Amino acid sequence: MTSLSIDPPDRGRKLIVTDLSSIPAEPSDDILYTHKVPFLTSLRTLWDHREIMYTLAERDYRVQYKQAALGFAWAVLTPVMTLVIFVAVFSHFKGSINTGGVPFPLYFFVGILCWSFFAGTLGNGGSSLLSNKALLAKTQFPRECFPLETMLVQALNNVVSWVPLVLLFIYYGRTPQPETVWVPLFMLIEIVFTAGITLAISSMIIQMRDLQQVLPIIISLGIFATPVIWPFVSIPAHYHLFGGAYVHGHWIGGVSVNLQAVYGFINPLGPVINGVRETMLLGHNPTWLPLTTAFIGAGCYLYFGYRTFKRLEVNFADIA
Amino acid sequence: MPTLPNGSVEVEHVWKKFRSDKAQPFFYDQLARLGRQAKSRNATGYRWVLKDVNFKVEPGESMALIGINGSGKTTLLKILSQVTYQSAGKCTVQGRIGALLSVTSGLHPDLNGRENVFLYGAVLGMSREDIRRKFDTIVEFAELTDAIDRQVKFYSMGMQMRLGFSIAAFLEPDVLLVDEVLAVGDANFQQKCLQRIGEIVRDGTTLLYVSHDLASVEASCQRAVWLSDAVVRAAGPTSEVVTMYRTAIEQNSTVLTTKEGVVQVLKADLRATDGGQLRSECETEVRLVLKSPEKAMASFFVGISQGTAFPMFVIDYTGTMPEGDFEVVCKLGYLPLPKGHYSLWTAITGFPKGKKDPYLPWQPVVSFEAFGPERMDPPEGVMAMTPVYVGAEWQIG
Repeated sequence: MTSLSIDPPDRGRKLIVTDLSSIPAEPSDDILYTHKVPFLTSLRTLWDHREIMYTLAERDYRVQYKQAALGFAWAVLTPVMTLVIFVAVFSHFKGSINTGGVPFPLYFFVGILCWSFFAGTLGNGGSSLLSNKALLAKTQFPRECFPLETMLVQALNNVVSWVPLVLLFIYYGRTPQPETVWVPLFMLIEIVFTAGITLAISSMIIQMRDLQQVLPIIISLGIFATPVIWPFVSIPAHYHLFGGAYVHGHWIGGVSVNLQAVYGFINPLGPVINGVRETMLLGHNPTWLPLTTAFIGAGCYLYFGYRTFKRLEVNFADIA
Repeated sequence: MPTLPNGSVEVEHVWKKFRSDKAQPFFYDQLARLGRQAKSRNATGYRWVLKDVNFKVEPGESMALIGINGSGKTTLLKILSQVTYQSAGKCTVQGRIGALLSVTSGLHPDLNGRENVFLYGAVLGMSREDIRRKFDTIVEFAELTDAIDRQVKFYSMGMQMRLGFSIAAFLEPDVLLVDEVLAVGDANFQQKCLQRIGEIVRDGTTLLYVSHDLASVEASCQRAVWLSDAVVRAAGPTSEVVTMYRTAIEQNSTVLTTKEGVVQVLKADLRATDGGQLRSECETEVRLVLKSPEKAMASFFVGISQGTAFPMFVIDYTGTMPEGDFEVVCKLGYLPLPKGHYSLWTAITGFPKGKKDPYLPWQPVVSFEAFGPERMDPPEGVMAMTPVYVGAEWQIG
């Protein structure tokens, strides 16, 4: 083989003028571009570009409180303020909310922490492609870095927000139960679910800006659809569908469905919040069935969310 | 440290379409569109911004994409860097791509210069380790050593652009895509940028450079591709493609002469005084036959340009313009042009009574060929835009 020459040979040295009549009006069908990125390939590319994600997260983390007098204290203050409002409002319903003997603020705060990670990521990550428009249209790296980067930032904030939880434990003279070891698993479910939803929503918002208006409403209502205030166990574990006999106020036999498991599949946050409360606060073993469906559900959200994102990304730069 | 070049670009039958209506369609817009489509079968709803584009950039080569605004140059670069995707065809890029599509879009105003170097560097594809190693070089190149710990929102536009360009200048990719970014900073810095691009190319980086600044294209690229109306019109050695491009622009710009000035150009001519060929260094006469509606004081301008509205030199004269048909003869002692195709531009300033338009707006009136020695090229990486001094003798009547 001859060695590469730095000066290319005569090729291209001659002027070639295009014959304009030779250009067809439309491309032939066999060269049309279809955007197909295999799931695993895109994951690998994303992994190769993880440093960009960290850098973007660092940027947002630094910028977030840059000109706020209280700075990072806000990461603590925001959930505490939510807690104060919740306690003020819902202590009137003390009797109707069964916390299993756990003090109200502690019970709420765990829910608020889990919820705020999800809500914060979805809120910021959902519009992350729009807020990074300039980069989106001018630089080249996996686009999912944007929504996922906001999740990283929220995770950091969330970690800081756990500080008041420690104070609450001390104040009420309680300690986290040994079953707390399960909590990282619940967090994993939450992260998978949040990533999936945020990827899907962020890629859809860019095509349909209407979503951007609706999203805050959905997020602020979602807190009531999730067991942040009410206990997860108020969802029936055995919901009778048909058949069987009604004896002494109970159904015996027939077909029933575990609504907790169904709920967990649709909204994995339910079993997650419940799981944290069960283990950390009450010292029970986790209720596995809803957690399992939650895990499967979260996996589905991530898979289909990521697929949607990859499918829609062809147009991002053109319509952003 | 020159290495063997290993980046190459191949573009095969690339097509790209944009929706005609780039705005996000509302529901009722969609309805209206359906209505239109029902009426006329061939309402397309999209337009082609690239049609059947083919070219190849060999390893180590520098290639320019030239063409007027909206001819598809930037879109093509975006497709190559996978910011957007082609509608049809195939792009193959071998080697690591570095794309500088905009100088400042990666900078965050709230972060300081130092943080921004790391941010933008990472976004452009450098590893943290790389950036740390090159940090001092980058800052020094950007001439921002004193300002590096200041928030970027307190930088001037020029400083921001310098910072952005400097980061990209040290990317060291295999293929560098650069889009129209040399309007950076002052003349000295521009010169520095061009030199840096020259260095990058000598080091073996394959360069694809988009610009409509022909001087910088000639200074830094061996080959050029001319895009016009979504198609490649010509490809080949820079000087030849640029000449074709300039001729085409002139042909378009002569349309300007139909613009209604108050003075009409009846004839315009340029010839050697001795009656021979127009050639370098010969004594030359510019003759214009004009028709004026009134007698007035006015300033006459004559300039020569090469494919742009910006003349290489201008000579002017202020005197009395007679009413009716008259002839202007402007004798140049010396034609300071190398061989090439040029156009003669002219203008008459001053305003006719009660009108807002000048007597004659700046416009090309005739194009001509000059013979003589070839242009001498400036050193590599230097833009040739030297002003020329020409003495002249004027005669009006």
